[in-house]
Amino acid sequence: MDFNLSPFEKMVQKTAKDFCEKEVTKIDAYMAEHKDYPPDLLQRFAKARLLGMDVPKEFGGIGSTNFNLILFAEELGKTGSTCMLPFFMNNSVAETICHWGTEEVKKKFVPPMCDGSAWASMAFTEPGTGSDPKALTMVAEPDGDDFILNGTKRFISMANKPGYGIFFAKDLSMQGAKTDTTAFIVDKFSPGITCSGHYELMGLDGADTCDIFFKDVRVPKANILGEQGKGFKILLRWIAGERIQQAAALVGGAQGALEEAARYSKERVVSGFPLGFMQGFTWMLAEMKTKVDASRLMVYNAILLQDQKKPFEVPSAELKVFVVPMVQEVCRMAVQIHGSYGYSKEYKVEKLFRNAMHGGIVASSLEINKTIAGMAYLAGR
Amino acid sequence: MNIIVCIKQVPDVTEVKWDENGSLIRTGLPSIINPNDKHALEAALALKDVHGGTITVISMGPPQVEESLREALGMGCDRAILLTDRKFGGADCWATAYTLGLAIRKIGSFDMVITGVEAMDGNTAQVGPEIADFLKLPLCSYALDIRCEGDKVFVLQNMGDMVRELEAPLPCLITAEKELNEPRVAPMDMLMEAYAKEIEIWGMDVLDGDPANFGLKGSPTRLRKVFSPKRIKGKVEILEGDPAESARKLVEKFKEHNFI
Repeated sequence: MDFNLSPFEKMVQKTAKDFCEKEVTKIDAYMAEHKDYPPDLLQRFAKARLLGMDVPKEFGGIGSTNFNLILFAEELGKTGSTCMLPFFMNNSVAETICHWGTEEVKKKFVPPMCDGSAWASMAFTEPGTGSDPKALTMVAEPDGDDFILNGTKRFISMANKPGYGIFFAKDLSMQGAKTDTTAFIVDKFSPGITCSGHYELMGLDGADTCDIFFKDVRVPKANILGEQGKGFKILLRWIAGERIQQAAALVGGAQGALEEAARYSKERVVSGFPLGFMQGFTWMLAEMKTKVDASRLMVYNAILLQDQKKPFEVPSAELKVFVVPMVQEVCRMAVQIHGSYGYSKEYKVEKLFRNAMHGGIVASSLEINKTIAGMAYLAGR
Repeated sequence: MNIIVCIKQVPDVTEVKWDENGSLIRTGLPSIINPNDKHALEAALALKDVHGGTITVISMGPPQVEESLREALGMGCDRAILLTDRKFGGADCWATAYTLGLAIRKIGSFDMVITGVEAMDGNTAQVGPEIADFLKLPLCSYALDIRCEGDKVFVLQNMGDMVRELEAPLPCLITAEKELNEPRVAPMDMLMEAYAKEIEIWGMDVLDGDPANFGLKGSPTRLRKVFSPKRIKGKVEILEGDPAESARKLVEKFKEHNFI
């Protein structure tokens, strides 16, 4: 399928493939052994200038486009490597701070995320909520030039790594206001912060997702991102962009599963015929390819809207509605085509299938996105 | 230190597809920088990292070679020259070395020329040495390691079963082995800059050579035929019995086929 990519964009795809062959294979080998990211992971991305892709050069970025970023995301997704998470996080959090932050905030927090010296995190989810700001229990109480934060955040990626995270808390100085969620940029190694061990996840092997606990953590008022009480808007915009990156990686994962299935179905011979030429399997491959291609079109459409600074929140929700069932079905079919081999950890499709399941849960659930897309459609009629 | 690197664009054989007759399907085959030449580029970039200077990358071929030159610029080269002219078409190793040699002479001042040992689509390993011969440069081929001190270069040369340490004055020509280094991935910001840079296009008229020496006309070698060798299909035979009995049967088989 030809999307009429420019010579430069084709070169970006080729470079992404190169990076995956050279770096990601080494990263995955380390992660398989240590069940964690290599300590120099971000430096590897930074050396290839893959952090701060949509961040202006003056803040340490490269001033590229989100489109180029998702071309990389597709290739990373195809490998099934968990290292895509810090890649997404550092890029999207740096971009978010650039969008909402003051000059001072941008100068302080964005360059370390672009040069790989700081691991970025985004922390909204708590034990009792994943998407309702009214249910937040982390509180921020003003105290002189600081706020004091108390509470727990759950399932936070890279929470235990040195760097900065955007933490959302109920702002006690905004009591009585219509909205009271404020976003704070927090040094994750501040006094009073502790973390749990890693969660063992179904997919995304080696991810360091954990809980993070705040006990009287002092955060300067200067670290507030955007307007006080308007933090939820920041979260919604960030998550809309994150969904597109995630969808690109999911399309990459589905493409990877499709290619594995196609290769296997040509190699495996049943009753004298390669498996793929038996009608039942040919039809499966046809469905898989068509769905992957259609999803890619949707991803490219959504990311172009973001690059053109047009509203992309609803297309990004629609993307999730279509892409998540697609990748889960395509990876399931790839496992099925492989038979018992597909159920074995020796084969890549097993990993891609497990990874696909995170699509409907991480970076906002499938159901929430159906609500966003459905309500937007009804409101527009 | 000013270095000139010669690269070739070749078909990506990892993406090769074959038709039902076992012939290579060339249509739509993506092109890449010849893998050995990427090691040549990395060697030059590593020397530049230490000693400073500039790297000029040159390549002879059709206009689409521009993509490979842009990739080289993205990796960190400073200047790119594409030698393209219909009259260069069909060149063998000698005519290619003649053309590249003239271009290098025209570029003028340099400390080193680096090429890959050989191209994956020809496997002659002749162009680098022939350029050295044309330019009367010392040749350090099959380099596994390159170290510069003052106006000298020290090269570890791969001789198969042994390694030789060579010393040569600068300027010289080095051919790079794949074990020499691990080529870097072009950083995204430099790739963006590479697409904004100009690529110089040089034709036969720029090179000031003898027209009779370019391309097919200037090539002493003639390609007579390209063919895929017939695939020999074997069969597997399992020799039953205990180890001693199986070994005896195996020896009989060897004798039967005149292996022993």
